[in-house]
Amino acid sequence: MTKKKSFDKKNLSITNERVFSAVKILISILIALIITFIVLCFISEQPLNAIMTIMFGPLKKARYIGIVIEKTIPYAFAGLAACLLFKAGFFNLGCEGIFIISGVSVAAVAINEKLAIAGLQPILCILAAGITGGILMLIPAFLKAKFNTNEMVLSLMLNSLYAGIAAYLVRTFMLTTTTSTVGSKNYMATAQIGYIFEKFHISACFFLLIAVMIVLEIVMNKTKLGYQIRLSGTNKKFAEYSGINSFKLSMVVNFLAGVLAGVGSACHLLTQTSFYIPSVSVVGIGFSGLLMSMLGKNDPIATVIATFFYQYLQEGASVLYYTDKSVPSEIIAVVVGIVVLLISSQHFLRKYREKKLLKEGLAEHD
Amino acid sequence: MEETILKLQQVTKVYGNGVVANRDVNVDFQKGEIHSICGENGAGKSTLMKMIFGIEKPSSGTITYKGQQVHFKNSMDAIKAGIGMVHQHFMLIPSFSVVDNIILGDEPKKGVFINKTEAIKKCQQLSDKYNFELDVTQKVSELSVAKRQKVEILKTLYRDAELIILDEPTSVLTPQETEKLFVQLRSFKEQGKTIIFISHKLEEVKQISDRITVLRSGVTKGTYTNEELSIKELTRLIIDRDIENDMDCFKKDSSIKGNGLEVRNLTMKHNGKNILDNVSFTVKNGEILGIAGVEGNGQVELVKSIVGLNESEYSGSIMVNGVDVSKLSVKQRRNEGLAYIPEDRMGDGTSSELPIYDNIISTYFDREDINGKILMNTNAIDQKSNELIETFAVRCKDNKATISSLSGGNIQKVVVAREYETKPSVMVAEQPTHGIDIGSAEFVHHKLIELRNNGSAVLLVSADLNEVMNLSDRIIVMFEGHVAGYFKDANSVTDHQLGMYMLGASRQSAEEIEGALND
Repeated sequence: MTKKKSFDKKNLSITNERVFSAVKILISILIALIITFIVLCFISEQPLNAIMTIMFGPLKKARYIGIVIEKTIPYAFAGLAACLLFKAGFFNLGCEGIFIISGVSVAAVAINEKLAIAGLQPILCILAAGITGGILMLIPAFLKAKFNTNEMVLSLMLNSLYAGIAAYLVRTFMLTTTTSTVGSKNYMATAQIGYIFEKFHISACFFLLIAVMIVLEIVMNKTKLGYQIRLSGTNKKFAEYSGINSFKLSMVVNFLAGVLAGVGSACHLLTQTSFYIPSVSVVGIGFSGLLMSMLGKNDPIATVIATFFYQYLQEGASVLYYTDKSVPSEIIAVVVGIVVLLISSQHFLRKYREKKLLKEGLAEHD
Repeated sequence: MEETILKLQQVTKVYGNGVVANRDVNVDFQKGEIHSICGENGAGKSTLMKMIFGIEKPSSGTITYKGQQVHFKNSMDAIKAGIGMVHQHFMLIPSFSVVDNIILGDEPKKGVFINKTEAIKKCQQLSDKYNFELDVTQKVSELSVAKRQKVEILKTLYRDAELIILDEPTSVLTPQETEKLFVQLRSFKEQGKTIIFISHKLEEVKQISDRITVLRSGVTKGTYTNEELSIKELTRLIIDRDIENDMDCFKKDSSIKGNGLEVRNLTMKHNGKNILDNVSFTVKNGEILGIAGVEGNGQVELVKSIVGLNESEYSGSIMVNGVDVSKLSVKQRRNEGLAYIPEDRMGDGTSSELPIYDNIISTYFDREDINGKILMNTNAIDQKSNELIETFAVRCKDNKATISSLSGGNIQKVVVAREYETKPSVMVAEQPTHGIDIGSAEFVHHKLIELRNNGSAVLLVSADLNEVMNLSDRIIVMFEGHVAGYFKDANSVTDHQLGMYMLGASRQSAEEIEGALND
């Protein structure tokens, strides 16, 4: 009986790796909010009201929550793509470019009158974007595997390249004549993804995200592919020694990451926009995905939760901005910045944990 | 009159992951003595040395140096106080000259510039004073391992070290080189310097030490004078039981005949230099072929070529059970029955952040019994890993413990367990007991013999001559990429004979060496 008790206690103590992570995140968020409050004291006339609005504003209306979720979707897809890449040890930062270039595929299908079949067109859009993303993501991976080029440099260069190509393709083949921006024609009505819960403004993409998240969680933790990703991501030489074909693995992982980015782009465009502007529509999402993945420590479920948290605060700041124009919504960058800093810090709270471990370690040997 | 230079009192160290490395350690070091620290890996020797050298801080307890309590913040503090350490893995910059390496961080200055003439003079004097026979203007990359070690020792002498810690200094040396090193250590002693000597080779410990301290599970088992202990007693103190050194009594004749591994005319060039020069040999089923040689004479490249991890071009054939595998991938070679215990168990043999159960299945993770059609069979993996942990006596919390939380010997057991599990017909064991404790080493040796007795062909590559001589049936010696000597009967050769071939002082004729292939 006593044995069982001490076992439970140990599982919940700070020395448990998972509990420690959770406590660390909560304390990080708390510290970030306190610092934000201090900043707000300087810039806002009603700092208390301001911080409360940031924290609880999105809960005031159902529609706000809907906005948070809708905004979460593309960022979470970008985050999941980054998870997959980071977990396998690839520093491919190409999601940004993939988001932009797969937008062209989405637009190409979405403005096509011949494909204007209700129910089918959005699926075709998503497929087209996914395939585009997957294939284009292979370029840096292939060059890395065959010629040992630096994937980080290459993927960053490709981001700019894809943005240029996207602009060229839209301007040349699908330019709208009704406005002066470099944007595509309007999508067919049948291509738009509608809301399933009208009250919350939540689309089917939400369920797609949840499904993808669960599948990815299973793939990463329970399958042969996930096992190879783990091995290769933590020690590539060990994976090769064990007989894992690192070229093949690299192709598979990068392709899947590209697909996720492409799908994310499609989800965003078909719910949030009615025509495609390469220089605006999805810019910045791919890069934010890296941050989301970092917040979630490369775990799919944690990444989606982190993304939701990020968008929630963002929406809180937007709600605040309706009433208090003195607080810019960029204030959220402060919160997120501090949280990332604290979570990624190896030393934060370590001393405390070590003290506990010292006690536990000594007790165990007595 | 004896004078205590360093005294540890009640020193305890608990690491961040909860591992208690040292516990209430009390030991004192006298001025002008050679004091050996013995113990299994994971017994806390390295941690103790790191605390003395300022790399780690004790969790509790005091360190008194020259009568004063010290709190070294880092190794710089320790060096300033006169403590030097020669690490097992040398800390030298190969592209720098000997002088540059020695003075790095403590350069004689002339204004803002380094006074090179002064530095060279000083280093050469130092080298000559102790008969190191070094040309200090040579590049380190051109030096042999033994000479590199001398550079490391010179580094500590240059900084006026009075207490020198040598971590496994003889593991890379030939018997002749070890003897020379001991002569030098004794001369340091006469100069009043204190030597802390760490080694797994108990014969050497007996040979050189004045006093011996034994550590077991982080606790001291006492300090003894050399005369007080026989090797047998020392062994018992270290691992708490007796050990059988001669492996021959375990060997049985295997009924399986034929050649498990056959290597013919393996040649590999790099920058016009022959890294491997026409290497040919066979390993028969049911035998252990030992490859002796000083590290860096082509053994690494040979092994990498055999197991399929050599990315450079090479020519020649490698047959596993009659199949030429020289063009096959690692996976395909493993499917032909090849297994491999790598020298670098942390770099190649495991992934330190991952738990044991992930590490212990890596070479057969796609085998049907642990892998469902889509999902990995978590229960089967759990069961398999627990079974292996038990059979191979891996000391760990449970199968979820990460590799980084294990001691060297236990990590090696994980590697051996995994390679053993695939029931290999050819086992390539590269430095299988390098830097691990006696108990684990003995265990690994028994497993290799067991494989041999069951009819596997075992290729043993080791810089440890005793290991090669005790385990092998036949022995070849490698020197500068070629086979310099072949010995048909491992029992009738002495370490000094092998040493001559290892140093390149002797070389057999082509006909004699051909025996390695045809006997």
